[in-house]
Amino acid sequence: MAVPIEEAMSALSTFSLEDDQPEVQGPAVWVSTERGATSSPIEYSDVSAYRLSLSEDTKALNQLNSLIREGKEMESVLYTYRSCVKALPQLPDSMKQNQADLYLETYQVLDLEMSRLREIQRWQASASSKQKMLQLYYSVLDCLWPALPLVANTLQLQQLGPVTCIVLLTFTQVSILWQDIDSMREELDDLQIFLSTRWAILLNLHVEMFRVNNVEDILQVLIVFAVESLELDFALLFPDRHVLLRVLPVLVVLATSSEKDSESLYKRVKINRLINVFKNDPVIPAFPDLHLSPAAILKELSMYFPKFSAQTRLLTLPAPHELPPREAQEYPVYCFDVNLICDLVLKTRYAHMDIMEGHLHEIPSITRSFTYQRHYLIVNHIGAIRAEHDDFTIRFALSLNQLVLLKSMDGADIEWCKEVKGNMYDLVVEGFQLLSRWIARIWEQCAWKFSRPCKDPVLTESLEAAASFSDYEKVDGPVSGGLSRFLWVVRYNYSAEERKALVELVSYIKSVGSMMQRCDTLAADALWETIHSEVQEFVQNTLATMLKTSFRKKKDLSRILSDMRTLSADWMANTSKPESELQALQHGSEESKGSFFYSRPVAPTAAQIHCLQFLIYEVVSGGNMRKPGGLFGNSSSEIPANDLKQLESFFYKLSFFLHILDYTVTVATLTDLGFLWFREFYLESSRVIQFPIECSLPWMLVDYVIESQNAGLLESVLIPFDIYNDSAQHALVVLKQRFLYDEIEAEVDNCFDIFVLKLCEMIFTHYKSWAASELLDPSFLFALDNGEKFSVQPMRFTALLKMTRVKLLGRTINLRSLIAERMNKMFRENIEFLFDRFESQDLCAVVELEKLLGILQLAHQLLSRDLSIDSFGLMSNEMQENVSLVSYSSRLASQIWTEMQNDFLPNYILCNTTQRFVRSSKVSVLPVQKPSVPYAKPSFYCGTQDLNSAHQSFSRLHSGFFGIPHMFAIVRLLGSRSLPWLIRALLDHISNKITTLEPMITGLQEALPKSIGLLPFDGGVIGCTRLVKEHLKWHSKSELKAEILRGIKEIGSVLYWMGLLDIVLVTTYGLCSNVQQREEDTIHFMQTAPWLGLIPGADGQILESYEEGDSPVVNLFKSAIAATMSNPCRFNPSSLYNISKQAEAADLLYKANMNTGSVLEYALAFSSAALDKYCTRWSAAPKTGFVDITSSKDFYRIYSGLQIQYLEESVQPPPNNHEVLGDSVAWGGCTIIYLLGQQLHFELFDFSYQVLNVAEVEAAAINPSHKNLLSLQGSEALLEAMKKERRLNNHVFSMLKARCPLEDKQACAIKQSGAPLHRIKFENTVSAFETLPQKGA
Amino acid sequence: MARAGGITEAVNVGIAVQADWDNREFISQISHNVRALFDFLVKFEATTKSKLASLNEKLDTLERRLELIEVQVGTATANPSLFTP
Repeated sequence: MAVPIEEAMSALSTFSLEDDQPEVQGPAVWVSTERGATSSPIEYSDVSAYRLSLSEDTKALNQLNSLIREGKEMESVLYTYRSCVKALPQLPDSMKQNQADLYLETYQVLDLEMSRLREIQRWQASASSKQKMLQLYYSVLDCLWPALPLVANTLQLQQLGPVTCIVLLTFTQVSILWQDIDSMREELDDLQIFLSTRWAILLNLHVEMFRVNNVEDILQVLIVFAVESLELDFALLFPDRHVLLRVLPVLVVLATSSEKDSESLYKRVKINRLINVFKNDPVIPAFPDLHLSPAAILKELSMYFPKFSAQTRLLTLPAPHELPPREAQEYPVYCFDVNLICDLVLKTRYAHMDIMEGHLHEIPSITRSFTYQRHYLIVNHIGAIRAEHDDFTIRFALSLNQLVLLKSMDGADIEWCKEVKGNMYDLVVEGFQLLSRWIARIWEQCAWKFSRPCKDPVLTESLEAAASFSDYEKVDGPVSGGLSRFLWVVRYNYSAEERKALVELVSYIKSVGSMMQRCDTLAADALWETIHSEVQEFVQNTLATMLKTSFRKKKDLSRILSDMRTLSADWMANTSKPESELQALQHGSEESKGSFFYSRPVAPTAAQIHCLQFLIYEVVSGGNMRKPGGLFGNSSSEIPANDLKQLESFFYKLSFFLHILDYTVTVATLTDLGFLWFREFYLESSRVIQFPIECSLPWMLVDYVIESQNAGLLESVLIPFDIYNDSAQHALVVLKQRFLYDEIEAEVDNCFDIFVLKLCEMIFTHYKSWAASELLDPSFLFALDNGEKFSVQPMRFTALLKMTRVKLLGRTINLRSLIAERMNKMFRENIEFLFDRFESQDLCAVVELEKLLGILQLAHQLLSRDLSIDSFGLMSNEMQENVSLVSYSSRLASQIWTEMQNDFLPNYILCNTTQRFVRSSKVSVLPVQKPSVPYAKPSFYCGTQDLNSAHQSFSRLHSGFFGIPHMFAIVRLLGSRSLPWLIRALLDHISNKITTLEPMITGLQEALPKSIGLLPFDGGVIGCTRLVKEHLKWHSKSELKAEILRGIKEIGSVLYWMGLLDIVLVTTYGLCSNVQQREEDTIHFMQTAPWLGLIPGADGQILESYEEGDSPVVNLFKSAIAATMSNPCRFNPSSLYNISKQAEAADLLYKANMNTGSVLEYALAFSSAALDKYCTRWSAAPKTGFVDITSSKDFYRIYSGLQIQYLEESVQPPPNNHEVLGDSVAWGGCTIIYLLGQQLHFELFDFSYQVLNVAEVEAAAINPSHKNLLSLQGSEALLEAMKKERRLNNHVFSMLKARCPLEDKQACAIKQSGAPLHRIKFENTVSAFETLPQKGA
Repeated sequence: MARAGGITEAVNVGIAVQADWDNREFISQISHNVRALFDFLVKFEATTKSKLASLNEKLDTLERRLELIEVQVGTATANPSLFTP
């Protein structure tokens, strides 16, 4: 069952081939690159079918073609010739006996190389002789095209000659050493002469040519053709144009140097026309890194062709090196006597560079070069090119859409159909011309740049760079070779503007190329149809009109015209169409035109076009070569001018049809930018194996795009890699050199790695700075004058981030995954760095850490819109070593804890009023071992330097103290996961401290006198203080005292810290300031609640749905087990049992999250439980049952003694004790007293309180007039300190009463294992003195 | 004069040329379709590749997440004593 082709093909279009890949690369896949039309694949063997007796012409044509093909191969052999002198092995003296063997081996290797050179010589000989054969068929115009490249080839071979003679010389040397030269001396000499004689090929050719008679005519025709084509510039693709330009000077020289009739040339072509051509293009690209100059060629050839030297007008043309100074650098390579170079070569191969330097400064500067500069540099045209590109793309896309529309319609209007297709054809032609013009600009700019090395050698930057590059060059002497020359012509020769323009132009070429290439199959039949109809229109209608009118009388000519009709007319094209349609068509068209034909998508063959061109030429020239004027000049009166014009335009159109028929090949040729990489000429003249990639033009472009941070260019960053693709293709297909491909591949690998690296850095930095600038306070920015420097320029990485297949040397690279991989790594490194940084600072840096992590997180959030990278939580968990389910500590939590234990608790003091801890200046700081702050790039902080300093100044505000903001940061950073761990660690710290305090307190207790009574009021303040001093004989235990105070201070600090935490937690969770965290918790809760059996209660409380027993998840698995047990054959019950156990564990884990409460209350309860153990020793129950006043050694008494002593010390001149301990001593002491239930005892019997009472009485008793008694004066400060202390203590007590009321609260304590213990009742809570009025109340 | 002596058997050549046009229409249709097919294959390959790439990307992410979860479960099962109430 056969399916019609059309149906099958249209079925293909039903596949969805949408692809979200942005088009940021050139075309890299060519469907077909076989030339089918421009060169006949069957070598014109079908021409004979037309019975035109053209077989001899076609034979000549084929010969010329094969000559060209061979010549091109020779060219690539010569161009890619690398000297192997460096590789020749040398023997030490000790191994002289093996010399002969070695030389034999070397000879064999070199012989292979030599054979290639001999090949060239042979080809040259055959080319000369075959060109002689060409004379026989000279009248064939078609031979013009092949003939020109042939001459061009020989010319190019000439240029490469000097390079290779180096190899030859070495070879000779080796052969001499091998002492077997007799047999080949003659051959070698011959070869040497051939290769080292300048213009040898041309001279040979000249000699051969002028053996034939009418060679002048051929040359003249060729010149006329070249000049006319150049002037007309009709449908010339750039390679053809360059070939014409290259060959013209040589042709002129040959023509004028003939024996006879040398002036006849100027009768046909005015010399001004020639001069104009030469002047317009002073530099012509020949090879990727070689260029020619017509003026220089002319001048040099005048030495060899004496007759030509009379042509002074042509010889006075300025060569490009004469335009400005230093221009000559490129040229003397050829100007130099080759033999001289050869002589020098053996000493230092590049000594001639030095010699050239001498020539450089002799030549005067001519301002004319500026106009050339304007012409050659792309920068000066880029605006126009941009406009052309935009305009063309729009029109092309429009026409393409129309074509698609047309195809989807049935029975479209025939006229419209034709119009759409014709429009498409016009646009394709225009596209080819645009591409051709653009790429020619690049070629010419390259040639221009090569002819004008960088003129600014004083640039220090470039000199430094040049110095760094000299590492590549293993130069023995001061001579720096081709590398530095290459540096001057490429590396420093393109300014930033020029690089930008070049990137832009390259990407225009590539994008237009890929656009045209993509629509190949879509547009192909439209193009064929248009060509078909053009040909048929001409053959069937135009020629018919001509036959009827102007050619009626001329028998010969009209026969040629009817031959043209016979061999190409498609009379029956309309027969296959349905009859009715045809009739309508004929009916409609009969009025307008003579005959109508139905065009069909079939192209004329190469043979047909060849024959048509041949016949047209014959009509026009009448076979007469010596006709004055041009090819289509109005010379012949036989043909009317109108017809001549039609014939001419059709003639040129025909040659362009071929390019359109070879659509993909033409597009490929016109977008081939591979030449930008090649540097074989410079490489051969340097001593390095390969130039560093910094000198490579494609990489320079990539590098420029990345370094310039130009958002507009960013999406073109992959375009320069297409240059590598092209050059690799060129190396393999055209030059056929594996080693070149290997070098390109190596460079591409290297470049791409660097590119990905740089790109990732750029992306990371951009997103970081974006996030950082988002997080800056907007009001701060608003108030700032230079706020814009903190804003980030938007960059579009989206297109690049979408690239999953970058086409590179036939490989497909997933750029997106490469970037994602690297980003994952960078984010992890960044987190790691931030932690490292935090670990090298103190606890106050936690605010900075939180800020930087916040920036990083926002950057992650912004980036993950475009790129799928690991979630931030995952990464930060990983870097915090916080993945384990059962461990709650993390890197950060343990760091905070270590920091608190070692630095914060001992060294920081509390200020109750400001609620801040500050570092004590008095405490001798224990040298804590900390790693130094690691260095990192700015992108690891906030992106750019400016943003870094902005954020730095914010975080510096918080670096001197520890307070509420720090607590916020800690809570946010640790989250609900690690915070309990930290709290637990701190609580344990309290209980440890209490344990260590206990024996010390006992020591102090023992030192107390047996009984201490109330202070007598009659002693006055001074007496009282003295009495207290007498009681407290702790002088021998000052160390112990300080230790206890420190311990109490630490306990107080921890408790105050807990208080802060409480405030922050309430704020954090109450106000939901950390929305995301809260949200996560809520989501988490919602997910787990059904499984744990939690249901919302009436007033928002959480209820447990199940009465007794287990939560749903546990139940589920239990019932599953039960089911399995009853039916044991099905599953393995043990695995299910495991799952069930795990479910229980999970149940327990998740339920633990539900309980929340005040941390401070918890801490107080915990400490009271910890104190329980010492209850008996620190608060002995009075034996009498009454309050024990005199003999009590309870804790409050000890603390009271400590307090008054340290108050006394604090009013002494420095060292000031208060600054060592701060307010947390009061917190610690009062809390212990309160928890032991001794608050009222303390308030009654505290020494300093008693002293204050005494002072009050004293002040009241003494007459106000005597207030400033001497007795009081000394203790004024002390009393003030005591009052302050009393106020503080009262504050603490009221706080404690509010947070931990002892009377009715059943506090819960914690077992050592961590389990809560509901039991405690404080025995000594209610006091008989409770009702007594308080002092000062 | 013209070295090509003109078409000797004009009628026969005309018929042959006409047949040639017809044959070549068939050939060009075939070659056009082959090219279209090839074009399709190239595009299909490209699309498939990018679809596979996006799938691969998702799998990668999942894989990494799974790895983490595995580690977490591993820590939980390694310490069963913690879960006994």
